[in-house]
Amino acid sequence: MIADRIIEQGTLTTQDGRTAVEVRIPWYRALPGSCIAGAALTVDGVAAPEDSLRWTMNNRTFSFEELVDETGEWWFPLDSAVLSGDLPVRDGQAEHEVRVDLKLYIPYIITDHGVLHIEEHDTKTMKVAQR
Amino acid sequence: MTSLGTPIQGVTLYSFTRAFHARQYDLDGLIRKVAAEGFGPGLEVIGFSSLRGFPDRIDDTFVGQFRDLVAEVDLVPTSLAVNVDTGIRRDRLMNHDELVEYMRKQIEVAARLGFPIARVQISLTPDAMESLLPVAEKYGVTLALEVHADQHGAHERVLALRDRYEKLDSPLLGFTADWGATVTGFAPSLLEAYRRRGASEDLLRQVVDLWDGFYAEGPPNNQKVHGERFGAFIGLAARNGRPDLGIDFGINGTGLFGPAPLDTWLEIMPWVRHVHGKFFGIDENGEEPSVPVRGLVRQLVENGYSGAISSEYEGWHWNNWQDPFEIIRGEQAVQRSAAANAGSAMITDASDARRILSSHLAQPVRG
Repeated sequence: MIADRIIEQGTLTTQDGRTAVEVRIPWYRALPGSCIAGAALTVDGVAAPEDSLRWTMNNRTFSFEELVDETGEWWFPLDSAVLSGDLPVRDGQAEHEVRVDLKLYIPYIITDHGVLHIEEHDTKTMKVAQR
Repeated sequence: MTSLGTPIQGVTLYSFTRAFHARQYDLDGLIRKVAAEGFGPGLEVIGFSSLRGFPDRIDDTFVGQFRDLVAEVDLVPTSLAVNVDTGIRRDRLMNHDELVEYMRKQIEVAARLGFPIARVQISLTPDAMESLLPVAEKYGVTLALEVHADQHGAHERVLALRDRYEKLDSPLLGFTADWGATVTGFAPSLLEAYRRRGASEDLLRQVVDLWDGFYAEGPPNNQKVHGERFGAFIGLAARNGRPDLGIDFGINGTGLFGPAPLDTWLEIMPWVRHVHGKFFGIDENGEEPSVPVRGLVRQLVENGYSGAISSEYEGWHWNNWQDPFEIIRGEQAVQRSAAANAGSAMITDASDARRILSSHLAQPVRG
């Protein structure tokens, strides 16, 4: 697992109360939307409301509810996805602590307790990127 | 008497996951690097890792470019690792027909790209393998089900597959033997990684003692014993005030470092079509400290195995301080030395490898 690479350094953006960051898969192989089971986006200790979170990959944007049935779009290991949510972040030169939590299903590992899922997180400090 | 085998040297790109994921090499660049380093001639690729759009969006242009590149750098495609994603849906597991079609699409890509083997996984039952035999025949691809820790060559699930193979008697059904099933110690490089995460020497000693105890007891022959061992690692971490390390101890201690004796491979040796030369590191003496590479190569040579060995470095999960290319170079040197000590040689010439692999895969199982 490559959890230290989840957050792409320097990709924090914010506009009109929406904040976004680019994320990499902490796993060696592509997974479809249906295996991206949840995420959290937290900046300076404040989490974006869960129902405001959106996931963008392959130029398509999904709510996490929509991802549940999505077996056609895949998150490839070289691609950044974008996680965004309602979260006002003051602009300017300040450093912000960004945390992303991810829950992924590993679809080929079936345990006695169901399909294996992994929970990974990453925290990085960065300024808001200039657009 | 079985004549000595001549295994084919090779590598899986999985060994370089960190470098690929970090975008240090794209697929084209990584294949060129493997060829230039002399890590072939065998080349193994994981479809869902290396091929964007796998398997539904692999177009003929990509197929042509891939085949041209492999020909240009003189590598020999051995195995396309495909995945049995039974749990892809959230509401239920795939049904039988869905699974067969899911596998068919991946096996078709293996054939189009020129891979004679598709590595499949343990969640395929004997019935599923029997259903996939017509697919294997249609595409001329050998299905080599990976025997990986926590299973091993004498595990009840593996023996059930072997017995079905014997009944079906097709050269297209076999196994990929993953050396991680027959490990002799907890990998020192992983202990070093835990040390870097603040684990005490006392805790690390207990982890090693627990694993050594399982090694002495022998491998789990069913899933119940496996689960108990997994739980023991979690309990150990919790008792030592490091519950955060428990799952990691359990996953690696049971799922990567399988404690089966080498002779368990003899249960399935005639059906071994491909080998994952799984290993975790090379020490200061140039040897693998926890995988008995020399004994494994000797066993293959003495049993007449002339398929490919894909060097599969899995220490990348935790080792971010050493160069994976150097580590592969070191492990392949051990393999070549072991084959020579056994009175044979690893095949490193591409044209020899093509000829020998073709013959190996065409053999009847009891040939």
